[in-house]
Amino acid sequence: MRKPLAVAIAFTCLAFAPRAHAQDTTSTQPAPQAMPAMPVVRAMLFGDATYLATDRKIPAGFQLGQMVGHVIVSFNDRLNYFGEFSATAQPTGYAFEVERSILRYDFSDAVKVSVGRYHTPVGYWNTAFHHGTWLQTTVSRPEMIKFGSQLIPTHFVGAFAEGNLPSEQLGLQYMAGVGNGRGSVISRAGDAGDVNGNRAWTLALSARPAALFGMQVGADYYHDRVSETAGPQATERISSAYVAWQRERPEFIAEYAMIDHTPATGGATTHNHAGYVQLAYRLTGAARQWKPYVRAERTTIGRGDVIFAPLDLGYDGGIAGVRYDFTSFAALKAEYRRERFETHDWSNGAYVQASFTVPDLGGGDHNPAQP
Amino acid sequence: MRSWKNVSGRAREVIAQRCGTLVRLLLCCACLLSVPVSHSDAQSGGSGARQAVAIVVNPHSTVSNLSFEELRRIFLGQQQFWADRSKITLLVRAPVAPERAVVLDQIYRMDEDQFRQYWIGKMFRAEIAGGPKIVYSSDMAMNLVGAIPGSIAFVLASAVTPNTKVLRIDGKLPSDAGYPLK
Repeated sequence: MRKPLAVAIAFTCLAFAPRAHAQDTTSTQPAPQAMPAMPVVRAMLFGDATYLATDRKIPAGFQLGQMVGHVIVSFNDRLNYFGEFSATAQPTGYAFEVERSILRYDFSDAVKVSVGRYHTPVGYWNTAFHHGTWLQTTVSRPEMIKFGSQLIPTHFVGAFAEGNLPSEQLGLQYMAGVGNGRGSVISRAGDAGDVNGNRAWTLALSARPAALFGMQVGADYYHDRVSETAGPQATERISSAYVAWQRERPEFIAEYAMIDHTPATGGATTHNHAGYVQLAYRLTGAARQWKPYVRAERTTIGRGDVIFAPLDLGYDGGIAGVRYDFTSFAALKAEYRRERFETHDWSNGAYVQASFTVPDLGGGDHNPAQP
Repeated sequence: MRSWKNVSGRAREVIAQRCGTLVRLLLCCACLLSVPVSHSDAQSGGSGARQAVAIVVNPHSTVSNLSFEELRRIFLGQQQFWADRSKITLLVRAPVAPERAVVLDQIYRMDEDQFRQYWIGKMFRAEIAGGPKIVYSSDMAMNLVGAIPGSIAFVLASAVTPNTKVLRIDGKLPSDAGYPLK
């Protein structure tokens, strides 16, 4: 319980710390130079609380979601640090986690290199929303990238190069990385080193076509050797693709991933498939704060898959709900969910969630939320 | 409780007069509420058509023309460096200013809430280290553009001062026909 408290205090101190830099002026006096002499520190906060009623045999009632803090430090106009830290309610207390910790140098729009812990660029949701519950339209993530996902390696420890590719009309971007891959517990990244000496690598390409403003499409590939503790080893290849129409009238996200495993001891490669389609629509006029949504998702596990078969990951589900934005920075969501896990019967659930963000706590001159 | 039959003639007249006044007031309110207020009138204080918005940069900038798509990428934070690899500093006017409404409408195609969420999302995804620098007046925008190399801002064309450089957008200046930011 003390760690989250300490983190909260640290964030608060960072937010209200004096910021000595040249640009920090709200007067009409011209700044003497473009970049600050001292690092600029910014912070954001995301949080949520959910009420859950379900006929699944899981704890229901009120649940405090993740409290997620972001710290962004600009050392100069090219060197930045991005940190994301979470406190998650657990039956025995709070689990503190370093979600992301990235030190990045921007040479240009075409080349930005970084090192640290990332959200793996597999698919769309994992990098677009992840711990930002308020950012996502729905109460929770799709099952394929749920909290503690075993299906997709949601975090990645390593190094990345990323940037824009020369394509004015297509808006192409790339992201290429090498890292430790999954840890000995496959839901975790190899934070303390590579467990098998085989580095994972990933390549992601995306496009934001100028002619379809608001559209983002992407495809990516991920390669790793999976080595569970006292478990099987297998070569893992993930191919995924997505389409995201980011305007709200309508909002459309569809994503698909195929996860292949080839046992290290030989044998046939098995294919696992996961995907979802989500559609939402922000109402207009006096009802513009309301945003109804639906989502359908499916995960199928290949028969005899050495990694996934014992984990009961197969899933079918559908949700329908509505989001109500009662301020620019807080939302209330109500959702009905019908779902079935691989070896279980269909279940029904109702969720009500309040989520919020506190944007750029250090705010001021760079804060899009002000005044 | 007295019935309407028991009310005297004089009292009936007074009540009828007051009801009539109330009805007229309600009708006036309804008319006022139903009169469409044009966006441009609201923004320009009723002075007529919406003014052109000029895109201004530091006078030492080597850039003199941008395509509308380049401009959009810069304002969306998708392009953060100029061709000479200097960093772009994006200055955005605070809400309510008429030029902000033009830019949100024409470049971002977002309302205020979507605009805020867009920048929060970009910071969340570690695509940028900070949102645009907010300016609170045209003077502040012009002063900062004049002082910060690599900065870009938008102001009403009538507010442009000599210490900045006005960019052509798709080859057009704010005074030209077909200029996109009007």
